[in-house]
Amino acid sequence: MTLATRPPTEPTDPGTPAERHTSEARPWALVAAREIIVRVTNRTFLVSTLVTLVLMGAFAAFSTWQSSRGATFTVAVTTSDAGTLVQQAATAARAQDPKVDITARPVPTAAEARRVVTAGDADAWLHPGDGGWVLTSADQPPAPLAAAVTDTVRSQALERNAAAAGTSIAALERGASVQLARFTQAGTSPTVISVATFAFALLFYFASLMFGQMIAMSVVEEKQSRIVEIIATAIPLRQLLAGKVLGNCLIAFAQILLYAAVGLVALSFTSWSALLPSLSLAVVWFVVFFVVGFVSLASLFAVSGALASRTEDLQSTTAPISIALMLVYFASFSLAGTAKVVASFVPIVSVIAMPARVLAGTAAWWEPVVALALMVALAAVTVAFAARVYTRSLMQTHGRVSWRQALTAGG
Amino acid sequence: MIEVHGVSRAFGEVRAVDGVSFAVPGGELTGFVGGNGAGKTTTMRIVMGLLAPDDGEVRWRGRPVTRADRRSFGYMPEERGLYPKQPVLDQLVYLGRLRGLSSAGARASVVEHLERLGLAARAKDHVEKLSLGNQQRVQIVAALMGQPQALILDEPFSGLDPTAVDSMADLLREHTSRGVPVLFSSHQLELVERLCERLVVLSRGSVVAAGTAEELRAGSTARHRLVLGTDAGWVRDLPGVHAVDVAGPSALVELLEPDAGRRLLTEALSRGDVREFSLQRPSLAQIFREVTA
Repeated sequence: MTLATRPPTEPTDPGTPAERHTSEARPWALVAAREIIVRVTNRTFLVSTLVTLVLMGAFAAFSTWQSSRGATFTVAVTTSDAGTLVQQAATAARAQDPKVDITARPVPTAAEARRVVTAGDADAWLHPGDGGWVLTSADQPPAPLAAAVTDTVRSQALERNAAAAGTSIAALERGASVQLARFTQAGTSPTVISVATFAFALLFYFASLMFGQMIAMSVVEEKQSRIVEIIATAIPLRQLLAGKVLGNCLIAFAQILLYAAVGLVALSFTSWSALLPSLSLAVVWFVVFFVVGFVSLASLFAVSGALASRTEDLQSTTAPISIALMLVYFASFSLAGTAKVVASFVPIVSVIAMPARVLAGTAAWWEPVVALALMVALAAVTVAFAARVYTRSLMQTHGRVSWRQALTAGG
Repeated sequence: MIEVHGVSRAFGEVRAVDGVSFAVPGGELTGFVGGNGAGKTTTMRIVMGLLAPDDGEVRWRGRPVTRADRRSFGYMPEERGLYPKQPVLDQLVYLGRLRGLSSAGARASVVEHLERLGLAARAKDHVEKLSLGNQQRVQIVAALMGQPQALILDEPFSGLDPTAVDSMADLLREHTSRGVPVLFSSHQLELVERLCERLVVLSRGSVVAAGTAEELRAGSTARHRLVLGTDAGWVRDLPGVHAVDVAGPSALVELLEPDAGRRLLTEALSRGDVREFSLQRPSLAQIFREVTA
C-alpha cells in the first residue's frame, strides 16, 4: 500500500485570521472567569452564603437587642423601711448601669407579697429578718438585683456601725486599697486572644476545607467527564490549573471578605465593639496569611482532584491534606510557649499562630514578615510541584492514581 | 495534510502502536478502521498531543505539528464528555474561546451548528438534561465549530440515528470541500466505504493497509464470477485458475496467471452457454478481513 501521492491540497486558511485571533484573552483568565461564573450561579453556593450572612446579622441583632434591653426589677415591700431601701438600691444600681431600673411595689401583707412574687408580678420580696434583711424570690434571685440590694444594705450597715464606734468608713478603709500594676505594656486580655485565635483557626479550617474540596471537585469533574481531553488540546494544562486555582481563590477571598466585613460590622453593634481596635491589626495579618496559605492549599487540592478518576475517589485522595489541616487546626490553639513561637513560623500553621501572637503583642514587627516570606516560598514550591503532578495525573483516566505514582511516573 | 511518521507508543509491556505511518491529505475524508485495541484511539491521541509518542512524529503542512496548530484542530475524543451542569451554549462558547475564537465568533458558529443539528431550542438547557444522542450532537459542535483547520474524530458516528449520520456526513463534506483534512475512526465498515475517499487500516498497532478505496481493491486478489448453462465443476481442474467456490453452474475463481482469464473463457464457450463472466469488486469488509488476518 502506498502513502498519499496526490499533491497536498491545503486549506486556504479557513477562518479569517482576524476571526480566529481577535481574542487574545489569556486562557487562564478564561478558565478563572468560568470557575467564578459557574460558582456564583450555583444555587447551593448562593443559598449557603446568604444563610450565613443572615445568621451573622441575626446574631448581631439579637445581641444588640439583648444588651440594649433595660433590666427592670420590681421588688414587693411590706414596710416603708423596705421601700426606702429599695429606692436607695435603685439609685446605686443606676449609677453603675443606667439601664438597670429597680422599683418598689408596696403590698399589704406577707401573703400578698408571696402571691405577687410567685405570680411573676414582682421579682422578689424585701422584708426584715433576723438582725438584717431577707430578699425572697420565687427561685434564684436575679443577680443584678441581689447585688444592688446587698451592696446598699451593707454600706448602710457599715456606716451605721462605724458611727456607733465613733469612726467613719473612710477612716476604716484607710490604707486598705491595693493598686494593680504590671511591668509589661498593657495587652489584650487572654480571653480575647484565645477566643480570637479559636475563631481564626475555625474560619481557616472550614474555609480551606470547603473551598479546597470545591477545587478538587471541579478538577475531577473535568477528568471524569473527559472534557479535559478537549481542553488539553486547546490550552496547556498548566494554564488550566492556574485558572482554576485563581478563580476559586478569588471566590474564596470574596466570600471570606464578605463574611469578615459583615462580621465586623455586626460586632460593632454588640457590647464587644470595644475589642475591635485591638483585633483589627491581627485581622489584617490573618487575611494576608490566609491569602498566601490558601494558594498553596488550593493547588494541592487541585492535585488531589487530578489523582482521583471519579468523585468517589476524592475522599481518599484529599485525605492527606484534610488530616494535615486538622492537625494545623488543633495545633493552633493547643500549643504554648516555645512551641507556639516555632509554630508561628511554620508555613500553614503560621496562618493562625502568627496573627494570634500579633494579637497577644508578643511578636516583634519583623516576625510576621519573616513567617510570611517563608509561606510565600512554600506557596511557590507547592504551585510548581502541583503543576507537574497535575499534568502527569490528569490524563490517567484508569482508576485512582496514588500520590506516589504521580510523583514518580514519567510524563 | 497531516502526516504520521513512524509513531510508536508502549504502555508498560504493551506496544499500543508500533511504527505507524500514514497521511491524511487535505480535502479528503480518511477513514481509520481496525478492530478493538488496534491502536486507533492511541494514534489519534498522539496526533492531538494528548499522549507523547515514544518514537516518531506527527507533521502538519510538512513540519512538526505545534501546540498552536493543534489548537485550531477540531477533536472529538473517544469517550465523550461535557460539563453536565452547564448550559449547552455557554460551554460550547467557552470551549471555542479556549481554542482562540473571539466571544462573538464562537457564539455565532455555535448557534449556526446547533441550528443545523436541530438543537437550537435546547441551547439554554443543561447538558445533563439532553438525551445521549443529543449530547453526541453537542460534542460534534464542540469539534466542528469555528472552522477548524483539521478534524480528528474518534468514532463520531456511534450513537447517531440514520438522519443524524447523514447530516453529520454532510457537515464533514463541507469541511473537506474547504480543503480540510478529516480523519475519523469507525467500526461501521459499510459507512466508511460509503463516505471515505481514503482508508487506513490498523491491526495490532500497525498499519496493514492505507490508500484510496480503489488502491486497496487493486491490492486485493481479484475474483471473477462465471455462470454457465451447464455444470461448472470442470473449472476446478483448469491450470492457472483457483476455484474459490463452485456451486452447480456458478463458480467464483481467482485468476493466478495473466493469460488464465482468456483460457477460462475460451474453454467455457467451447463447452456451451456463458451467461455471466464478471469481475467481483471486493467489499471493504472482505479487504479488512484479508489485511487483518
